[in-house]
Amino acid sequence: MVGSGGASASEAAQLARLEEQAAHGGGGAWEYLCLVRRLKARRPEPVLRLGLSLLNDSKARSKLGSEEWTLYEQVAIAAMDCQNIDVAKDCIGKLKKKFPESLRVGRLEGMLLEAKGAWAEAERAYAVLLENNPNDQLLHKRKIAMAKAQGNTTLAVDYLNKYLEIFMADHDAWRELAEIYVSLLMYKQAAFCYEELILAQPMVALYQISYADVLYTMGGMENIQTAKKYYSSALKLTGGKNTRALYGVCLCSGAINQLSKGRNKEEESSELQALAAEVLTKEYKRQAPAKVPIVTEMLKTMKLS
Amino acid sequence: MGLGFVVGIIGGFLIAHAAFSTIQYRGELKIMEEQFTGPPFNAVIELLVGLGLCLWAGLAVPTKFLSILPHSDENRVVSLPANLDFMVFNHRGKVLPSNPDLKLKI
Repeated sequence: MVGSGGASASEAAQLARLEEQAAHGGGGAWEYLCLVRRLKARRPEPVLRLGLSLLNDSKARSKLGSEEWTLYEQVAIAAMDCQNIDVAKDCIGKLKKKFPESLRVGRLEGMLLEAKGAWAEAERAYAVLLENNPNDQLLHKRKIAMAKAQGNTTLAVDYLNKYLEIFMADHDAWRELAEIYVSLLMYKQAAFCYEELILAQPMVALYQISYADVLYTMGGMENIQTAKKYYSSALKLTGGKNTRALYGVCLCSGAINQLSKGRNKEEESSELQALAAEVLTKEYKRQAPAKVPIVTEMLKTMKLS
Repeated sequence: MGLGFVVGIIGGFLIAHAAFSTIQYRGELKIMEEQFTGPPFNAVIELLVGLGLCLWAGLAVPTKFLSILPHSDENRVVSLPANLDFMVFNHRGKVLPSNPDLKLKI
């Protein structure tokens, strides 16, 4: 559960600092690569550059010992992301020589075919691997990614649903499905996926904000009230610092006021709305003082409407 | 950090000395055939001072403690990982010029 928690502010800052340092030849390349792997960050260019500098230096390479092969894998994937197919092929060749019958290397070869755009061959390669390893999660996920890459979103949704029937606890897959549903404008299904994510990881504020976004988009009095509750919960989890959640609370309150104009004004917590507006203006004064007039105008119109 | 180490060593030594002096005191009482009611007053003071020094050293010697509160500013999750299992390679980065110098030396 702790593994897919994401990066905290201090870890993100550390990553940026190490990247800067290594880019200017200050050392710390291996530290940076380990941090990228731990935080599961996607930084193909620095990883490719620094990884190659380590791998091409035979002294540094021998210092790594058995971690050399993990570095080959990391550099191969970064090379594919940068469309540097030759480097990827060389790295995979080295890995194949060392681990001839490995599933992990087979997967990398499949990914290389994907990166080259040879969809049919990649499909065949994955089918062969799946015959021998029908329960490998990453192979299933690569098939889904391939369907997504070819633009066949309905097929991707199909595969993802079948995958989730078997592997129900995979948060990344639920997140992917939610994002695909949102891109297909299927908001009810996306809301369901986000509900699963919130159940599994109730302390991650970002899922709650995304869920509230989807509910607000769907509209309707009940949905907007629930969205307001989830924005407030996200504010509680982030210590009141998340600007998106603050905006969410303000907009939801404005929308609720507008929807309930004719009907009886229930004694809703107008305190929450006023407080959120105040914190929002304070945050803007602190970080972007030039934009404060725009924010105050907008808040004024919402309070009146 | 050197100071912390020295203080810790002194504290440890004081505690050991207090223990040793208590044992010696007990031995003397046995010779005089009296009851052992408790350690001598000096030994107790020495023990408390040694305890204080060791405590201080224990907190001062390690470097910055990591925060364990999930809601503290350092530990708050600000970004989710990039969902690398579903990574696709046909993104717009394909048209960026790739550096031809980057090669793996076999």
